[in-house]
Amino acid sequence: MIRFDKVTKIYSDNTYAARDLSLHIRPAEFVSIVGQSGTGKTTLAKMVIAEERPSKGRVIIGSWDITAVRSADIPVLRRQVGMVFQDFKLLPKKTVYENVAFALEVCGVNQGHINRIVPQVLKVVGLNEKRDKFPHQLSGGQRQRVAIGRALVHRPKVLVADEPTGNLDTINAQEIIELLLKINTLGTTIMLVTHNKDIVNRLRKRVISIDDGTIVSDQQSGKYII
Amino acid sequence: MLITVYRTSKFAFQNVWRNLWLSIITIFILTLTLLTTSLVATLNIVADQAVQAVEEKINIDIYFKPEVDEQDVITAQVWLQSIPEVKSVRYVSRDEALEKFKASHANNPNIAAALAELTDNPLPASLVIQAYALQDYAVITQQFEASQYDTLVQDKNFSDHQLVIERLSSIIRRLYQGALVVSLIFIIISVIMMFNTVRVAIYAHREELGIMKLVGATNWFVRAPFILEGLVYALVSSSIAMVLLWITMAAATPYVNNFFTGYNFSLSLFFQEHFWYIFAFQVVVSIVLAVGSSMLSIGRYLRV
Repeated sequence: MIRFDKVTKIYSDNTYAARDLSLHIRPAEFVSIVGQSGTGKTTLAKMVIAEERPSKGRVIIGSWDITAVRSADIPVLRRQVGMVFQDFKLLPKKTVYENVAFALEVCGVNQGHINRIVPQVLKVVGLNEKRDKFPHQLSGGQRQRVAIGRALVHRPKVLVADEPTGNLDTINAQEIIELLLKINTLGTTIMLVTHNKDIVNRLRKRVISIDDGTIVSDQQSGKYII
Repeated sequence: MLITVYRTSKFAFQNVWRNLWLSIITIFILTLTLLTTSLVATLNIVADQAVQAVEEKINIDIYFKPEVDEQDVITAQVWLQSIPEVKSVRYVSRDEALEKFKASHANNPNIAAALAELTDNPLPASLVIQAYALQDYAVITQQFEASQYDTLVQDKNFSDHQLVIERLSSIIRRLYQGALVVSLIFIIISVIMMFNTVRVAIYAHREELGIMKLVGATNWFVRAPFILEGLVYALVSSSIAMVLLWITMAAATPYVNNFFTGYNFSLSLFFQEHFWYIFAFQVVVSIVLAVGSSMLSIGRYLRV
């Protein structure tokens, strides 16, 4: 589903975020990408949605080689790959409902479909009763659930979560992980980027550890080792 | 397509409403810019009319000796009219001069009595010369004094006017230059303020723009609400500026018209006749300012 083929990423200040890195994430897999801050985890997530481009190598999503994707095609890619961020990235002037509906509105989906899908998604993430609240009226965990809901409305095959629990307390963090697991059981590939040791150890899913832009371990039912 | 237009309009109006303070400030600055530009333009028009009015007031009178034949005066008139700097030459006959003199002193019984005593018309025939521009009077004077007709002349008010003309012309020129510099400074300041306000508005939206891109919005979809928002600001500000301009004009008209008494210029009439031109000008200027500056500022936030 996600394939990195000998990917190297060098930033303009000559720091390496990836060094000849290859990995393959299969469909419907739940994979945690772990490592300390600054090791290149987030860069990998950004390359999946073409926010960053590899300096060398290829990135393939499904059967689509997005290494040199045209900027006009990026919106199409982002409608197929859902992304969740540590800082939620919600539109502050839009309500919960509007934030989720927005992802459909931008691609011209008709209103009838939006009216059907959005309440379903809000139900999945457990926010149907908060639909008219603005982000600043919600807790961190609720905000992250809105972000996950927004990522889900396109029914993406892949969901990339970049430190989704970074700003949350333990209970909220656990709830978010359980939500991601639930989404995974419905068939969505999950790429979880994190440095939360407890969460990773409890998951007992595939763990890829990264250090200085290279993979140092890849375990099928792994633990946080760095 | 229709649904996209509807949604961008909805987002634009939501932006205006949910950032109400920023919208009010943007409209305020834009109105101020338009009002400044329009007032400066009006002042320039009034100044221009004033210069013309003063120029019309100035002329040169040439009084011919009483024995000079009417035919010679008319020949001098034709010759004067051939000078390119001369706008018009009017012949005032001796009879006409007397009629005018009588009319202007009709209320003075002494003068009326003195005139009744006279058997002969004591007033000379004259030519009234108007030039196109103030500085042309000196040229016309020189040419006339060098011509054969100078000997026929009894009196002329060239030299009386010359100093006044020169001073007035230099004062007006300086005033005009000064007003132009001040207007330009005003316009530049308001344009910069407007650009800055819009940049701040876009800066306040920068996170939103990035998020829109991250959830799959195209650049056009992100831009369109801002274009529409700019159009809303442009129309609202132009309308407010027109109302304010109308009030200012109505208040200033009595004073301006008083200054132009006897001349064919009315400020309120000028405003009425040019209403749609001024409004269209304001709409175009505000669209260029509001939409242009938001397009310039938005570019950098779309590279996500």
